[in-house]
Amino acid sequence: MKIRLQDVPQATVDTLTSTYSEKWDGVEQIEQTNAFIHFMYSNDLIFVVLGVTLIIWFVLLFFLIRVDKKVSSLESKINSDENYEA
Amino acid sequence: MKTKKFRILKIWKYVVAVCMTLVITGGILINIPKIPILEETARNIFFHVPMWMSMFSMFAISFYFSISYLNTPDLKKDIKAESAAKVGIVFGVCGLLTGSLWARFTWGTWWTFAEPKMNLAALAVMIYYAYFVLRSAFDDEEKRAKLSAVYNIFAVTTIPFLLYIVPRQLESLHPGAEGNPAFSEITAPELRYILYPAFIGFIALACWIYNVVYRYKMVQHQLENS
Repeated sequence: MKIRLQDVPQATVDTLTSTYSEKWDGVEQIEQTNAFIHFMYSNDLIFVVLGVTLIIWFVLLFFLIRVDKKVSSLESKINSDENYEA
Repeated sequence: MKTKKFRILKIWKYVVAVCMTLVITGGILINIPKIPILEETARNIFFHVPMWMSMFSMFAISFYFSISYLNTPDLKKDIKAESAAKVGIVFGVCGLLTGSLWARFTWGTWWTFAEPKMNLAALAVMIYYAYFVLRSAFDDEEKRAKLSAVYNIFAVTTIPFLLYIVPRQLESLHPGAEGNPAFSEITAPELRYILYPAFIGFIALACWIYNVVYRYKMVQHQLENS
């Protein structure tokens, strides 16, 4: 029996899954990966959430430290100008 | 001057950095008791509640410097009060946004007018927003400082009523409604090991941001008057 494409709605909508599902399904290849990846997959992927949160926190922290230091240098510049004038 | 271009940070700022990192890591990784509906979102207590604590501390600092300004006028104190109120609003907005997201997945709605704490918290943030609207209305620095200090004292008196006294008398989805305990008896003890460091970490982080904002405004002030 010949199946026409319009009779199979999934086939028309979801062409990606059949093509790429093996490549997406990282868990299938977990034995081949290193210990770090193994660790990240454990406990329902909670460590991925931790990683994302920590990345955001460290970027913000780094930014805050930079601004703090820049303001410090501006302060010392202004103070030294005042001393020079006096 | 070139040799000491960047001053090293004060020690307490490193403590904040370490404390916050531990809070985030611990808050996500510790085992917490599972409660229906809340599930894993119970961890939000480590991040949502400290937002409000930080806001309260910033408003308290702002209040202190406003009174202090009225005692002995000094524009430095006005700038301190302004910076603290600004950082307080930022934390208040974070608290509103995190609360709204949390509410969507536990109470089923982004925003509800049946929930007094939610609405009164928004009102509190708006009262402080009006502080900045008032400030922008003056060109004269001393007049601005004096009137905004008076307004700030009014604004801070509303905070305990809006966020503590009134919501706890009414029916509310937040813990602690209708005179029940908000925290002491109903919260699992293991949450406290993260929650109290989170309070310290976030309040100290707010102080750090306040410190940078204040110094930026001082530099700006000095440049404008030189």
